[in-house]
Amino acid sequence: MSERRLRMARRTIFLSLLIAGGFLMMAPFLWMIATSLKTRAEVFASPPSLFPVAAQWHNYPDMWNALPFGAFFVNSFKLAALNTVGQLITCSMAAFAFAALRFRFREPLFALLLVTLIIPFQVVLVPNFVLYRLLPHPFSTSGNWIGTQEPLWVGAFLGGAFGTFLLRQFFLAIPRELGDAARVDGANPWHIYRHVYLPLAKPALATLAIFTFMWSWNDLIDPIIYLRDIESLTVTAGLSLFQGQYVGRWPLLMAGALVSVLPMIALFIVAQRHFVRGIAMTGIKG
Amino acid sequence: MIRRRRGPASRRGGGPLAGEGRWAAAFLAPTILGLALLSAGPILATLAISLTKWDLLTAPKLVGLDNYGALLTDDRFLKALRNTFFYTVVSVPVGLAIALGLAIALNTRLRGIAFIRTAYFLPVVTSTIAVALVWQWIYSADSGLLNQVLGLFGIPPQKWLSDPTLAMPSIIAMSIWQGLGVNIIIFLAGLQAIPSDLLDAASVDGAGSWARLRHVTLPLLTPAVFFTGVLSLIGSFQVFDQIFVLVKPRPTEATITVVYFIYENGFKFFKMGYASAASWILFLIVALFTAVYFRSQNRWVHYQ
Repeated sequence: MSERRLRMARRTIFLSLLIAGGFLMMAPFLWMIATSLKTRAEVFASPPSLFPVAAQWHNYPDMWNALPFGAFFVNSFKLAALNTVGQLITCSMAAFAFAALRFRFREPLFALLLVTLIIPFQVVLVPNFVLYRLLPHPFSTSGNWIGTQEPLWVGAFLGGAFGTFLLRQFFLAIPRELGDAARVDGANPWHIYRHVYLPLAKPALATLAIFTFMWSWNDLIDPIIYLRDIESLTVTAGLSLFQGQYVGRWPLLMAGALVSVLPMIALFIVAQRHFVRGIAMTGIKG
Repeated sequence: MIRRRRGPASRRGGGPLAGEGRWAAAFLAPTILGLALLSAGPILATLAISLTKWDLLTAPKLVGLDNYGALLTDDRFLKALRNTFFYTVVSVPVGLAIALGLAIALNTRLRGIAFIRTAYFLPVVTSTIAVALVWQWIYSADSGLLNQVLGLFGIPPQKWLSDPTLAMPSIIAMSIWQGLGVNIIIFLAGLQAIPSDLLDAASVDGAGSWARLRHVTLPLLTPAVFFTGVLSLIGSFQVFDQIFVLVKPRPTEATITVVYFIYENGFKFFKMGYASAASWILFLIVALFTAVYFRSQNRWVHYQ
């Protein structure tokens, strides 16, 4: 047997293993889709089959009407958009200051920011809750921010360690001469930030936008701590409530889970290279 | 006002930069407010609250280190610590090893490889609650997929999520599945940064593919392994969503983790001082582990 044939055989085995692994990774999603189209009796059938006897499309409207999922989606989109805007503005401002301006306490302040990147955020859950409980709120039944959506987005307008770190790395690669030239022409730092740095940083801004949107969309612990009224829940918190109310109704639960991940899968497919670059650049988890 | 500073920045300091301090203050105002109110400041607040007994309704009462003393004799907290350690020491190395193997395998130029990579990455972008729901169904004791498949081989059904010895490994398996994609991407970036002339030189010297992997690729990949290790380590101490979704109605002593313990005491029982003390212990443990891990690096990480 020629060496070439041997290599071909090895390559085929190798590729089949990779495809099998990929299939194994996808299996939970396939099972999610299959189950969402089955009847309640069918899901317990033995042996299990991937394909439903007759696709039960009505599971989807049944799921959608069981809880106010429309409101959950509106809330999640609204919060994710606000978080994204807040992070893009305030992180890019801070990153510009750290990368392009000279001022006292620059290094210690940046070091402090980096420390907060390593600290598990759960360590500050209690004081944050206490703070939001102290803040008055004109439209809330509690009189403070607990039970409102404000704790889930206002903080995004107060900077963030990850976004600042990511954008600063990017800004540092922009030649200083560009800013200096603008300065000689009389531009102030705001102009330089707005008209030199931001336009050049579009890829990094896109990466930050996508990650912020995804984190906000997938966040579970904050919505379950702060939200009270059913109409104000996010998709994740709504799904958690749904799970509690429809125990064992797997077709409906799977339909809900699938619908809840569709926006993220769509975003991922459209912006795959930004995801990959963001992770390779910073190594931060999704 | 310009302050003379050490380092390259000061050499360039001069006229047109006057007033940069004020601009910096303006650009950094939101960040400084955030640090003070939401991240760095609250870490100290957590420490202060941890010294009190406080239910939010009545005034906090100073109790010194009582909360810490109580935690160390609270069986549920000690179990939470033990489970979190177990989760970390299993999921971090196993997750890294699988991701490393897959990244090396996926680092080829074959048609369709991008599609396979996407399959490995999809669980990363989907929310833990959604994927945990399907895993809960896969693990279900009555007619779950896993028990059905094992039944074909004559293996009796198992209670994957309620059997104390199986519950944590089941949760870990799901977490590894969900986290693989992130580690694979970092490893792939590391692999693609390895200069091909180094590998070619090794081939010329007669090294086979195994020897090249063992003596060139793996040593050059250790910085990437170190880096993903830090992230996995910090992330694994924060495990919460999986526990919250998979183990209903609430985790037993076999499945509770430290963050769930904090959530439960702070936001279900409103024992703010107790939850804060647990938070600080978590913080100290993460800091300690991270420091030890960083100190280990000069023994096994090769920087070019």
